[in-house]
Amino acid sequence: MHSVTAIVVAHDGARWLKETLAAVLRQTRPLDRVVGVDNGSRDGSGKLLTEAFGPGNVLTLPRSTGFGEAVHEVLRRLPPAPAQEWVWLLHDDCAPDPHALQALLWAAEQDPKAAILGPKLRDWLDRRVLLEMGVTVSRSGRRDTGLEPREYDQGQHDGIADVLSVSTAGMLIRRDVWDELSGLDPALPLFRDDLDLCWRARTAGHRVLNVSDAVAWHAEASARRRRRIASSEQHPRRLDRRNGLFVLMANVPFGALVRALLRNVIGSTLRALLFLLAKQPANALDELAALGSVIGHPWRLLRARKARKKGRKQGWPAIRRKLTPPGAALRRLADMVQGFLAGAGPVDSAGRHHAAADPGQEDDGDELLTDSGGVQRMLSSPGVVLFLILAVITLAAERTLLPALLSSDGHLGGGALVPVTGSASDLWRLYIEDHHAAGLGSQTWAPPYVAVLAGLSAVALGKTWLAVAVVLLGCVPLAGLSAYAATKRMISYTPARVWLAATYALLPVTTGVIAGGRLGTAIVIVLLPAYAALATRVIAGSRRAAWGFGLLLAVGTAFVPLVYVLVAILGGLAAVSFGGIRRGVRRSLVIGLGTPVVLLLPWLVQIAREPGRILLESGLHDARLIDPRLGADHLLMLSPGGPGVPPVWATAGLIAVALAALLLRRHQMVVAIGWGVMLFGLLVAIVVSRVGGAAWPGVPLAFAATGLLVAAAHQAHRIAEFRAARGLRRLGAMLIVVVAFATPLAAAALWVTRGAHGPLRGDLSDPVPVLAELQSEPGEGTLLLRPRDGRVGYTLMRGRGPLIGESDLESPRDATDRFTTAVAGLASGRGSTYVETLASSGVRFVTVPGRVDPALQQALDSQPALVRVSLSETGGLWRVAGQVTVPAPPATAGTLHRGWLWAQGGLLVLVLILASPGARTKEPEGDHIEAPPEEAPRSRRRAKEGRAKEDRVPA
Amino acid sequence: MRRLIENRFGLLALVLVALGALYGVAFVSRPAPAAQARPQAVRAPVESVTAVCPAPSGSRVSVVTPADPERPETPGSATLSPIKAPAGKSGKGGDDVIDRPGLLWQREIAAGGGPLVVDATGSMAAGLESAQTARETSGTQRGLAGVRCVEPGAESWFVGPGPAAAEMTLYLANPDAAPANVSFMVYSGEGPVLSERGNGVVVKPGQHRVIRLRDLAPSPLIMALQVSTRSGRVAAAVKAVLGEGRGVDWLPAAAAPATRVVVPGIPGTAGQRELYVATPGDRDTSVRIKAVLKDGSYALKNKETIEVPAGSASSLDLSTGIGGQPAALVLESDVPIVAGLKITGTGVRQDVAFTAGAPSIDLGSVVADGRAEGKQTSRLVLSAPFAAATVEVRLVPTKGAAPDPVEVKLPAARTKELKLTPPKGSKGGFSVVVRPKPGSGPVYGGRVLDEGAGDGQMVTAQPLAMARIWALVPPTVDSPGAVLP
Repeated sequence: MHSVTAIVVAHDGARWLKETLAAVLRQTRPLDRVVGVDNGSRDGSGKLLTEAFGPGNVLTLPRSTGFGEAVHEVLRRLPPAPAQEWVWLLHDDCAPDPHALQALLWAAEQDPKAAILGPKLRDWLDRRVLLEMGVTVSRSGRRDTGLEPREYDQGQHDGIADVLSVSTAGMLIRRDVWDELSGLDPALPLFRDDLDLCWRARTAGHRVLNVSDAVAWHAEASARRRRRIASSEQHPRRLDRRNGLFVLMANVPFGALVRALLRNVIGSTLRALLFLLAKQPANALDELAALGSVIGHPWRLLRARKARKKGRKQGWPAIRRKLTPPGAALRRLADMVQGFLAGAGPVDSAGRHHAAADPGQEDDGDELLTDSGGVQRMLSSPGVVLFLILAVITLAAERTLLPALLSSDGHLGGGALVPVTGSASDLWRLYIEDHHAAGLGSQTWAPPYVAVLAGLSAVALGKTWLAVAVVLLGCVPLAGLSAYAATKRMISYTPARVWLAATYALLPVTTGVIAGGRLGTAIVIVLLPAYAALATRVIAGSRRAAWGFGLLLAVGTAFVPLVYVLVAILGGLAAVSFGGIRRGVRRSLVIGLGTPVVLLLPWLVQIAREPGRILLESGLHDARLIDPRLGADHLLMLSPGGPGVPPVWATAGLIAVALAALLLRRHQMVVAIGWGVMLFGLLVAIVVSRVGGAAWPGVPLAFAATGLLVAAAHQAHRIAEFRAARGLRRLGAMLIVVVAFATPLAAAALWVTRGAHGPLRGDLSDPVPVLAELQSEPGEGTLLLRPRDGRVGYTLMRGRGPLIGESDLESPRDATDRFTTAVAGLASGRGSTYVETLASSGVRFVTVPGRVDPALQQALDSQPALVRVSLSETGGLWRVAGQVTVPAPPATAGTLHRGWLWAQGGLLVLVLILASPGARTKEPEGDHIEAPPEEAPRSRRRAKEGRAKEDRVPA
Repeated sequence: MRRLIENRFGLLALVLVALGALYGVAFVSRPAPAAQARPQAVRAPVESVTAVCPAPSGSRVSVVTPADPERPETPGSATLSPIKAPAGKSGKGGDDVIDRPGLLWQREIAAGGGPLVVDATGSMAAGLESAQTARETSGTQRGLAGVRCVEPGAESWFVGPGPAAAEMTLYLANPDAAPANVSFMVYSGEGPVLSERGNGVVVKPGQHRVIRLRDLAPSPLIMALQVSTRSGRVAAAVKAVLGEGRGVDWLPAAAAPATRVVVPGIPGTAGQRELYVATPGDRDTSVRIKAVLKDGSYALKNKETIEVPAGSASSLDLSTGIGGQPAALVLESDVPIVAGLKITGTGVRQDVAFTAGAPSIDLGSVVADGRAEGKQTSRLVLSAPFAAATVEVRLVPTKGAAPDPVEVKLPAARTKELKLTPPKGSKGGFSVVVRPKPGSGPVYGGRVLDEGAGDGQMVTAQPLAMARIWALVPPTVDSPGAVLP
């Protein structure tokens, strides 16, 4: 025969207590004894207890008493019952179903080994939501319920389950087992005391069961910070984490302890970093403090381990099976990334007590209904399909470029791109070094885009060529994807977005970029849709978007300074037009436009000093890559001239559709703005192409095209209306669709049939001949001569080909002049001591690639100090026979540079943190802890707000 | 205004007007097509020259640098020294130093000893010309034998009789600081000769080698010899000794293989003329021969062409065609060829001279050794095979003021022979400076030296070589884009 003693522990829980007490008293299996404990409540909980149980059955304890201590205190005072006694533990915020106790006892009778039983816990507010059906813990001490967040109870987990632990809320435990295990550990006043107890019970050979027929509704008031915790000074999150770690480390055997220790030190550090990035420094602090608190008190841990020594090792295999399997960590990471992309906080997960109450996912209900696999979901996204189609088009068009690049050791280069050699670390060194030994030596600071490329190369496993190839050769699909993703908020009609993205990706500028090897414009083309998307949010006053915008603008500006000018002018116009309408727009604009200036400061000063460079982009500036007499019709048709550009009529459809969009009356504002951007971009393009020298009007035309595309695509949903109509309108709609899609289709067809040939090639050889590379001492250089158009171009390479960015370094003028004179003398064959001059600059080899011009060969052969090493159809190589002195790098005080680099790094991290998305919806305000008591009215107001929020959660 | 904006076509009209305006701006501002001005190379005087006289022992060495008022006066000197390793190459006491441009320097070198190196810098370098001329009146070496002292180079060609017809000796010298890896290729009448003993030799810095070509290829009656270096530079010269009473001379370096070769400098004296043509390629060819004579340029009767099989040499006797008249030969072929010509003097005991394909003397030419003592005659044979030209001929004496230059007009497709008379008061030899006037067509020429000895005419010849006065300094730019093709 059983006897059941219910113990209800209350602490400031009057809000829930009434219902709890009613539920306890309404049990179908009447209770033999009831005891209420009031841990110094200030909200009248004690009074409620007394009313319900009678004054004799209520114990009042100090405010700081923990749950475990309270139960211990009751049982110490309560004499054992004659029969098999069960103790039913209840929180003040946990209301059991009337049949709960009956179901629990029935289950206990079925299994004589069962010592601890727990009910199925559901959410207090949303009563269908499952909270717990037994809890386990992962090897990193994380609580794991095995349930999805906000999983509804439809009986899917029902039955009696053998679990690692159950919550103390509604826990039914045999009193003899309680005494044998000496109950809940008072060292754990809150959180994970249940896990610890159940773990010990299992180690002692008892069973822990979860009985789904017994149901209790739990508010998780402490964990969700609905009330202040008095039993501990610490934040519940930190406490939760600390206790989780402590319980794990106290209960596992030694080998597992070492592993768990290692795992948690690394894991916690990483998590803290993630939290920092997610702008949750409090979480990061808690994470580290919890770990520190466990490791920092080794004696406490040792004591706890000593107490749990008995049977620990023998019980471990059985318990290990109940722990979360290691694979779950990966799944959690995937969930986290998915959640992060969906806009949730980056490190929320199912294990947290309050995960179920995240109200941020209300609108995702329909997505839960379609239970499709990830691949299927991706393939059904028009953006991904478009990306794949564009990628196939790109592969077909670049059929001549790619094989050489991928199969042999050919280098990508040509046009504005030097043959891509070197690795991420080379680029990084180029960026941070004070003195550049390359060429004739230079003290100028490397341009900032080198750092961006170094970062991209690091992502591409240190292979610069891979990063450059992906960005440059893949700029068509990347631009398409970027345009598709960026217009998500601007244009709701999906076919219009697809058309916009495809047209944007196949603009004449894009194919020209690939043919001309213009890495800078390629990056800007990919970033431009992102600018547009972020700009709409900046105009709306979003601070975070402004930081992101500033960061991306800095990247684009580093490659193509003209981008900043274009954006700044448009931003200025926007400030004039919207600044008065919306709050904070000016500040956001200042952030967006100021961030690039601050991040690129010294380099921008250099640029400003030579205004001609504003029109130029990164890389080589070759006059053969531009059309100096670009026709007016080309400019109006968005064709920037130069190699790789389709015929001028290819974009006619786009212009026609955009003009047609002007005729529609609705949303004329957007169309007008789009056309305004187009006309502005066009004007700048005309200026650039007429005054720019070697400048290419690609970027302003891409701006113009963006404006045009937005204007046209924004009105596209009207097509659907027209198509639904009959007769002439329907015909007109069809015509417009045909004209609109003619542009991307024609561009793709032209590109594929002509192929992406041009100055850019994938089969370039290393400019430094192998022999020269092998036989040069460190620092010795190879002088490369190339007669072209009556001029002899030369470049000095030190042991390796020039890196991207080295062409933008400036050497001291007098040294360059001296060297140029010596090279001219060498190429003329007039004798003299020119070779000695070159040798004193560290020139060991002279190479002439390709078929060597007979006059030049004669000139080089006539030099007594030069020895010919080889001469063939592929080039000639001469060696300086005499003494070669490598010029010593000048002693430089690079403190300013170092300081600036550190400052830039710091600023970058700051901007990254400010720009990176945090949780889109904040957790319910939990200021009770932080709010001092004297600010009670305010905190009450906040609590009210919090409640109001909760009330919106569908019941 | 408000009505315009609210009108359906208002915005369209505005945009079209703006587009039209932009089109207008772009159209008007379109620059006129600019002819790409090709940057011109700048003439600059040569600043250092090294030449090697291959075997000056018992010869007279002449060294001259013409003075030029156009050039700024810079200090400079030329040093004559026996070849030696570069370590000891610092003007020691025994060396001859010449530091006066505009005057001819001559010296008889005593017998014995190796090659001489002429090193010139500064104002002595621009146009430095040197030559060695030997005169023997008896023995196998009887005759006049002269050769230009040549700059070391990577490739030289010689065309003439083969080792079976004459004793051919190759002189190699390396005055540089790096070893020269020299290889030879002999093209005979029967095709290229592949030597069993290997056809390469390494000449170390400061070393010189004398190689009997009979050891390389014993059988050819005629040959073209290619001396090339895989690395380093070498000065090469070939001497042909035809035997007792049959003459001796050096083979001048022939112009590198080309589809059109001009063999200039054939004198108007009597005697045999034998043409040698070789093609190093792998295609048979038929070479068209045209003679440029005093009265015009035409193909020789029955000697219009000469067939040259691939990789071999052929010869053709032209004595009946051009014998007795000053001439130049223009040889044209579909594949690159090299050519040389043997001039035989008259008399019981014969002497030979050789000329060879030569480039035109656009920037002028200098001949170091000219003589007019006793029975010696110096002739200058100038040809303008393609277009009319005017040349200025100036003599440079050993001392004293130079006489006024003589202007010579050459009509197109004509050859002229000038007999050089030494300036009054000049003793010994003199040098000749030939410079085409601006606007002239290509000029080719040669200098022939003969001496009417009792037992037979002695003769030597050399085609005019372009003087190393000026070098063309190309415009040079530091451009990282040079790494791209």
